[in-house]
Amino acid sequence: MDSFVSLYHGFTIALLPANILYCLSGTLVGTLIGVLPGIGPLSAIAILLPITFYLEPASALIMLAGIYYGAQYGGSTSAILLNLPGENSSVVTCLDGHQMARQGRAGPALAVAALASLCAGVVATLVIALFAPPISKLALMFGPAEYFSLMVLGLIAAIVLAHGSVLKALGMIILGLLLGCVGTDVESGSLRMALGFPGLFDGIGFVPLAMGLFGVGEIIRNIESDHHQTVMQTRIRDLWPSREDFRRFWPAAGRGTLVGCILGILPGGGATLGSFAAYTIEKKISRTPERFGKGAVEGVAAPEAANNAGAQTSFIPLLTLGIPSNAMMALMAGALLIHGIQPGPRVITSNPDIFWGLIASMLLGNALLVVINLPLVGIWVQLLRVPYHLFYPMILVFCCIGVYTVNSSVLDVMLLMVFGFLGYMLSKWRCEPAPLLLAFVLGPLMEENLRRAMQVSYGDPAIFVTRPISAGLLVAALGCLILVLLPAFRRTREVAFQEES
Amino acid sequence: MSRIRNLNDVMVGVLLIALSIFALILARPLNPGTVDAMGPGFFPRLLAAIEMVLGIAIVAQGLLTEGEPFEAWYPRQILFVLGSIAFFALTIDRFGAVIAVAGTVLVSCLARRQTRFIEAVLVAAGMAVFVVLVFRVGLGLPMRVWPWGHIY
Repeated sequence: MDSFVSLYHGFTIALLPANILYCLSGTLVGTLIGVLPGIGPLSAIAILLPITFYLEPASALIMLAGIYYGAQYGGSTSAILLNLPGENSSVVTCLDGHQMARQGRAGPALAVAALASLCAGVVATLVIALFAPPISKLALMFGPAEYFSLMVLGLIAAIVLAHGSVLKALGMIILGLLLGCVGTDVESGSLRMALGFPGLFDGIGFVPLAMGLFGVGEIIRNIESDHHQTVMQTRIRDLWPSREDFRRFWPAAGRGTLVGCILGILPGGGATLGSFAAYTIEKKISRTPERFGKGAVEGVAAPEAANNAGAQTSFIPLLTLGIPSNAMMALMAGALLIHGIQPGPRVITSNPDIFWGLIASMLLGNALLVVINLPLVGIWVQLLRVPYHLFYPMILVFCCIGVYTVNSSVLDVMLLMVFGFLGYMLSKWRCEPAPLLLAFVLGPLMEENLRRAMQVSYGDPAIFVTRPISAGLLVAALGCLILVLLPAFRRTREVAFQEES
Repeated sequence: MSRIRNLNDVMVGVLLIALSIFALILARPLNPGTVDAMGPGFFPRLLAAIEMVLGIAIVAQGLLTEGEPFEAWYPRQILFVLGSIAFFALTIDRFGAVIAVAGTVLVSCLARRQTRFIEAVLVAAGMAVFVVLVFRVGLGLPMRVWPWGHIY
């Protein structure tokens, strides 16, 4: 019951007028970005990260989280109306959502998506409130060896869910860890690999790295092919779904929420996986599977519920263990670090305002999304008519200004360019850069714990396998690695990703 | 030795090998310490060594297994997008936000041949005004507005 008292405390923070405003602007900006194809939530948050530096940490996180689930939601709007997924996790929403729109039922499809997100958001919030505190208590008992092994598991698990070659994903992880080494070594104070640039003494900036890899790289790729979208001329009327729709909606949304919550907590999980799994499950257990792909309400409700639930529960590993489970959470970790908060089990006890304020704001944000966005659908559709070739120069300016104003550092802008090129190269060579960012965030922590563990054990690496929790985590990591390499699993994984793209 | 089967993998592998050699050179002056008292040079060297092994393995994978086709690069887009960022970096401190922002927009618009000049100018002017109003006047962030202005 403690959780609920704390949750109440969280509401007193989330409902401060300023925070309501940040939550609102976060969800609006997020929706805007989610609606626009060609700029995903990852690049959006990377680009908007600097704005939040000037806010209180709690407000900053509330706004960033708002952008995140706003983008999830906005992605489904363009998926339904345009058959264009604004971001990865709404790919499946296209299947049935757009079919509903073509049958003149765009209104109910949008409403179903919104209500499914809302119901998933409420459940996921309660799940976080209930499960996060006990997990963080467990994590407080971890020593350096356990922490090191946990991070190894987190990084390996990220590979399982990355596209393509396992070796390349491993290579990206090591590269991220190496980039994390740049700067002053905390223990000895000596300068490492800074090439003599004073701007690198504090390490490579998180903002130019994230923004370059995901923002700039994506812009170049987008303008290579001169894509222009045509907006379907749908009049959106009769927003409210019929009674029949509701009968199908509830069980599907419930199952989707469950699937999303579970997959969101797993390391490497998040929104995308959940929505695919939920759609597959709905189709499997439906008595009329032939309706799927032709405008089935369940096919919209389940994945939308799952991706929203997953988006929210993926905060659990970040806030309890300090381990971001995907690149999006790595960005959130970066935001916390910039505010001087080390994500981890101590966040709940030492920064209860941030933790509970954030959770309460998720409930608020989800409600705001439904209340505000359904009437605004028309405006979002208008926005889709802004051509990308006038839009990308604006995004580039925001990237530059954003990076520059963090430290008034010209070097950071140059780094933005370098990492932008790296991001472009990697995506051309079919190499997903997401594990790199994850490793970059975890790197310094991982090194610190490795060094401490080896000091404690007088240089005996056996410490990682003789301590039971650490050994268990390493075995799990090894299991993940073997799993990806198994031919049978490999094939299913490839098929799953093919469906996605 | 027949043709390279998967150029994508070979390129990634070569990149990683090159970066690992670079990292080893940079880590040379750093003291590795001992296993029970690691110095600043231990972790970077360990990582660079692992990275080199992985790089070689990825090259081998690219030589031995079939993969997705190699995608063409578009020099025009790369040049002007990256160039616009460089323009911003080189001008913001000396010439201020108005010139830096407008120039960034104009340079980045060159990335696409079909964009009309008048469109680019309008976006450039709009963005310059917007940035100065929001970031300088509104948020009060330290930046020069005009070449003769002050940073603070």
